[in-house]
Amino acid sequence: MMADKRTERDVLQELTADEQQLLKRVLEIERAKLHVKAADLTDDLLTAVRAILP
Amino acid sequence: MRIHSITLTNFRQFSGMQTFELQSNSLKPVSLIFGANGAGKTTLLNAFTWALYGTMSEDVEEQDRMVTDSVWRALPIGGSTEVAVELRFDHEGYDYRLRRHAEARKQSDEQQKPSAEVQLWQTMADGSSETITAPQERIYSILPSRVSRFFFFNGERIEKLVQKGAYSEVQQDIKALLDLEQVERAIDHLPKVDRRLTADLKKHGGERASEIQTAIDDLRDRQTSSRDELKVLEGDLATLAEERDSVVELLRQHAGAAPIQKERDRVATDLADARTQRAAAILERASLVATRGFLAFTDELATKTAEMAAALYQKGALPAPLKREFVDQLLEDGQCICGTQLDDGTQAWHQVTEWRQRAGLQMVETAWQQLSGQITQLSGARQELHDSLQAAVKRISTERERVTRLEETMSELDGQLNDPRREDVQQLESKRRDLEARIGVKRERRGAVRAALEQIQREIEQKTAERSKAEVKDELAAKARARSDLVQSVRRALEEILAIRKEEMRDRLDAKLKDVFGKITIKPYIPRLSKDFELALYQDVNGVELAVPKSTGENQILSLSFVAAVSELAREIRAERRAEGEPPDDAGTYPIVMDAAFGSLDQNYQREVSRVLAQMAPQLVVFVSKSQGLGHVVGELTPYVSHLGVIVTHTTSTSDASEDIELEGVAYPYIRSLAEADHAELKVIK
Repeated sequence: MMADKRTERDVLQELTADEQQLLKRVLEIERAKLHVKAADLTDDLLTAVRAILP
Repeated sequence: MRIHSITLTNFRQFSGMQTFELQSNSLKPVSLIFGANGAGKTTLLNAFTWALYGTMSEDVEEQDRMVTDSVWRALPIGGSTEVAVELRFDHEGYDYRLRRHAEARKQSDEQQKPSAEVQLWQTMADGSSETITAPQERIYSILPSRVSRFFFFNGERIEKLVQKGAYSEVQQDIKALLDLEQVERAIDHLPKVDRRLTADLKKHGGERASEIQTAIDDLRDRQTSSRDELKVLEGDLATLAEERDSVVELLRQHAGAAPIQKERDRVATDLADARTQRAAAILERASLVATRGFLAFTDELATKTAEMAAALYQKGALPAPLKREFVDQLLEDGQCICGTQLDDGTQAWHQVTEWRQRAGLQMVETAWQQLSGQITQLSGARQELHDSLQAAVKRISTERERVTRLEETMSELDGQLNDPRREDVQQLESKRRDLEARIGVKRERRGAVRAALEQIQREIEQKTAERSKAEVKDELAAKARARSDLVQSVRRALEEILAIRKEEMRDRLDAKLKDVFGKITIKPYIPRLSKDFELALYQDVNGVELAVPKSTGENQILSLSFVAAVSELAREIRAERRAEGEPPDDAGTYPIVMDAAFGSLDQNYQREVSRVLAQMAPQLVVFVSKSQGLGHVVGELTPYVSHLGVIVTHTTSTSDASEDIELEGVAYPYIRSLAEADHAELKVIK
């Protein structure tokens, strides 16, 4: 019998609320700047981290 | 993104302001616009991309001539006019009005490319309108320009999408559409964030924590350089694999050359034989002329000789050794021609009598027969010469023609064999082996780097665990550590999500592509998307899967299937609840706007492609000519059509080129001649 494959939902469910929140925010930031190939998003991402863990 | 309307103002051949409504629903998602060749279908397609990105495709000529020629001509020097395209659309719950326009000022008859500006307004939930301050940025975030190739395209050029060499670009675009790229980029960017966060930990975290963090930073540096090396290796491997594939293709062509070479050998033998035969025939003719050529001139001579001989024969005066009657006459006369008396019994009489014995009529007859025979033989020999010469000339002609024909065939075959793509097979084989060897070395190195990366990752995790336990008194450092832990957890989760998504997306896109392609094609070909999203076509030959060399038509079908599959999958996955959060209703929805999509397709394929696209695309705008669109295409699309239009060509041509198009039983203008100015009119039928 094959073991069930892990899904994206499984991964998300194992994260804490903060982690889930940051992951979602990180993807939002990245998606918004997807068209800028050389975008340096370090500051935006840092702000997101600090917003979750002030 | 669903387009509601497009409005053109003096845009290329579309003079004045012209609007076409495109808003459709899921039951009738199709807008069908007809136009003759040169009417402006490609221009209309490019109006969409110009409005969105300010660019037009390479196949649009004279790109500086943005303003309609007749409008430009009528404009006085110093005057100015507007050229604009406005798009109304909705996207993820908001309505947008996008307007790109330029004020073109006339300084000479030649148009200079005007500098265009873009404006974007968003309608809010309360109905108010808000100007977007960074309009181009917003447009890119709605639909990145490179991804637009899947949605705004010329069907005749779409096959490039699946051609070799286009994979790396297409692969990135698919990743962007299928929500993979943002995950990849986040994984790349988060270590920089972590490094910034842990700087405080190193500085204020105390000796132990600082030491651990320094070790982690070193490991991260090694990790970064190993990852960079891995990327270079992947790129090198892709290049080498592509080169190897092209060598294999050349070898295949070489195998294809074998029958040509065989044919050439046969032709070469035939040609040598034909040349020998031709030389022999020429020699024979020369020999005939040299040895018996004189006979050609004996026609009159033989006739005259025959006549003369006949006359002499009649007279009995043919030159014979001695005529008996003559001797009898001498004896009777008793006198020789020399005057000697020929008395009986004398010596002279005996001598002449002896001559009489030797002469006689029989001899004359024989002489005549001999002469007659010779004259007849001469005539026969002449005829024979004529026949032989004729046969020789005929053979020369036949062999000459054969030589010419074989030389031409030989030249044709040489041309095929001398194709620069056909390198020497041994050279190719050794090149292939060399490439395989280099690929092997790179793969080994890739394996080693991957193993090293896994080891580094384990060490980082171990050190991070140690870091968690290390005593940190400073509040700032403790916060930095907590934030770093958070970032690392998210990064790990993203890595796992990327692996899951990649596999899932590939499997789903592969299945969808097989399904769509299977609905269209009549051939037993199976498309397959590799682990790296590389597209190939296979055929099952007695249980063995062989790669299929694709024709232009097959590439077009494969590309259209691919577009349909990607479009549908993008919509499906965005509608699912994912790490990005709850999606809007129309997430992943994009229109397909296409020109000349049926150009290289047979009628049965036109029908199937029309049906599949109409069923799969959330919104489909199709530009077709009468010859392409009427019949199967209209037949399939009609149930799904919400808007129907014609780009009427108005031409200044004085020849009677006017033509109508019959749609739904009514005739509409298609081409109108004798116009005051050349222009295109976007006529709404429904």
